[in-house]
Amino acid sequence: MAQLPLIRLAGVGKEYPLAASGGDRLRTLWQLWRGRRATHVFRALSDISLELHRGQSLGLIGENGAGKSTLMKIIAGVVDPTQGTVERHGRIGALLELGAGFHPDYTGRENVFLAAALLGLTRAETTARLDDILAFADIGEHIEQPIKHYSSGMVVRLGFAIATTMKPDLLITDEVLAVGDESFQKKCSAWIEGYLADGGTLMLCSHSMYHIQKLCQKAAWIHEGRLFCHGDSADVTREYLAYHEERAQGDRPAGGSAQPGGLYALRNLRLNGASAQAPLALPMASDLHVSGSIHSPDGRVPGIAVGVVKADGTPIYGLVSDMDGYRPRAVDAQTYAFELTFPALPLLPGRYYIRAHAMDPEGLRLYDQLSCRLDITGSARELGMCRLAHVWGEGVDADCAVDERG
Amino acid sequence: MRSLWNHRWLFLALLEREVRNRYVGSVGGWLWAIVHPLLLLGIYTMVFRTIFRVEIPQLGEHPFVAFVALALWPWLAFQEGVQRGVQAVQANSALVRKVSFPHELLVYAAVTATFVVQLAGYALVLTILALFAGGLSAMVLLIVPILALLFLLALACALFGSALQVFLRDFDQLLGPLFMVLFYATPVLYPLALLPGWLGDILAFNPLAQFIEPVRALALFGSWTPSTFALASWAATLLLFVLARGFFLRLSPHFEDFV
Repeated sequence: MAQLPLIRLAGVGKEYPLAASGGDRLRTLWQLWRGRRATHVFRALSDISLELHRGQSLGLIGENGAGKSTLMKIIAGVVDPTQGTVERHGRIGALLELGAGFHPDYTGRENVFLAAALLGLTRAETTARLDDILAFADIGEHIEQPIKHYSSGMVVRLGFAIATTMKPDLLITDEVLAVGDESFQKKCSAWIEGYLADGGTLMLCSHSMYHIQKLCQKAAWIHEGRLFCHGDSADVTREYLAYHEERAQGDRPAGGSAQPGGLYALRNLRLNGASAQAPLALPMASDLHVSGSIHSPDGRVPGIAVGVVKADGTPIYGLVSDMDGYRPRAVDAQTYAFELTFPALPLLPGRYYIRAHAMDPEGLRLYDQLSCRLDITGSARELGMCRLAHVWGEGVDADCAVDERG
Repeated sequence: MRSLWNHRWLFLALLEREVRNRYVGSVGGWLWAIVHPLLLLGIYTMVFRTIFRVEIPQLGEHPFVAFVALALWPWLAFQEGVQRGVQAVQANSALVRKVSFPHELLVYAAVTATFVVQLAGYALVLTILALFAGGLSAMVLLIVPILALLFLLALACALFGSALQVFLRDFDQLLGPLFMVLFYATPVLYPLALLPGWLGDILAFNPLAQFIEPVRALALFGSWTPSTFALASWAATLLLFVLARGFFLRLSPHFEDFV
């Protein structure tokens, strides 16, 4: 039994009947009742075959409308596929919408019971876990308030908290990590990592390649209702990002949603002249040169944003070319080059990332993002991330002028 | 059926919410469950006894108000149960679209909640009759299985209607007028025996008559003779439930597309 996959999809396809008017609906009702297929349909998914084994984690990626949500609904059992078969072995916890079972007029505490029952918990089980749920959600006094007074973040916290206590064999979530504040996102990520470490199975749908790479071993790219690419998450997400870059550059005419003329895009990013592929190791207090080129579809001078973040994503410093009045240099009609120097970079030893985004000439919108790893080497006994200029003085009697300090 | 048993906690949670939904945020709370039928009862008694001075020979010494009350609560349980049950799937579209669970539970919870509320009122009516109108016979216990069958009939109608309602949004518009006609075609305000022969024969085909009349006869007179019509109606109720559930289950995989 242990060899059975938790989920096995074979040749799964899904059609949605198209019925706008009342007459259409009546005809569709008649066809469905007789067990026929509807005549006017929208094909959401075709011929998807997938297996998910215990302990695996799968990320679903794809553009809006590609069929990811439909696929998750089919796996979760919310809808049946039109073609093909779905086998499920094990307890599935699907959070396709956190708080879907919540009633706005009831308090958080009252809502916990129905939401937990929808996930398959008995009343006694819910009562036993109530303290854990409330502790994880950490919304304090609000638990006694009606849900309608909650912020959307609080609803998500409560919804996810219920799922965490259920310990499903397979957890399916849809953009859970996109909502909630920073600390709650961290809490969720930590919980999911612990759940995976304990042998849990995860299926995550996200537009954040960072989350997919971090939490999923495998990724499946759904494109126009088909399984376009399936494999190691690093490979699939790289392909996916490359596809978007190429599409933004207009190399691939397919797909109609790109803006006319494509988008501003960062072609490459170099640290001290080295390509972004390999991390740069830089001794402390050396000069750092960040350079690269930007594609401008309409030939106007684009902007560039550069940021320095710690390995865990904590921002340290960021700036936009526009702020300093800097204009990248034209290389050809559609390419601009930039270079930014940080003399004697005051970062303390550790791992950092240099991130850069292409911006429109107005300096309003960020487009794509490239990032390079930067390892600052050397040793320093100071604490923190960054060496601040400082001077120690003679020191005065503490009773006197405090305002002399600084 | 086994899967339904596995979902019993979900059913109870949905039922609890349905019952509470009626009164959450209201001042009167459960009082409203009894006020509405009492008001109707008052109006019917006023109109038929005080204004039209209707005399029903079959009643004997029993008061008209008791006669109507004994039929009114089961009728209201049925009517309101079906109406709420028909809305149940559409009203919970957020759940249907996002969560995997047997959709029929929504219908069962809505109908059951209505029956719980109305039959609690009915129990009160029976108690009052027992205390002030000379007591009830032990035969009144036979009401329970008949009301259970009435409940099953309401479930069947609600299952059928709620599936239709998902596809045909104006289906519930039909229910108001339909129930108004049905109310007068059901012997709530009059006994079937009072009708002229040909009309009585037609209305005896109304299955609801075969629930209302025996319940009232058992409560009021402590006796009732089963008729072929009644037994046929009860058998038909079982069959109807099976058919309606089949209809619902065949369409329910498609609800997500339409709600």
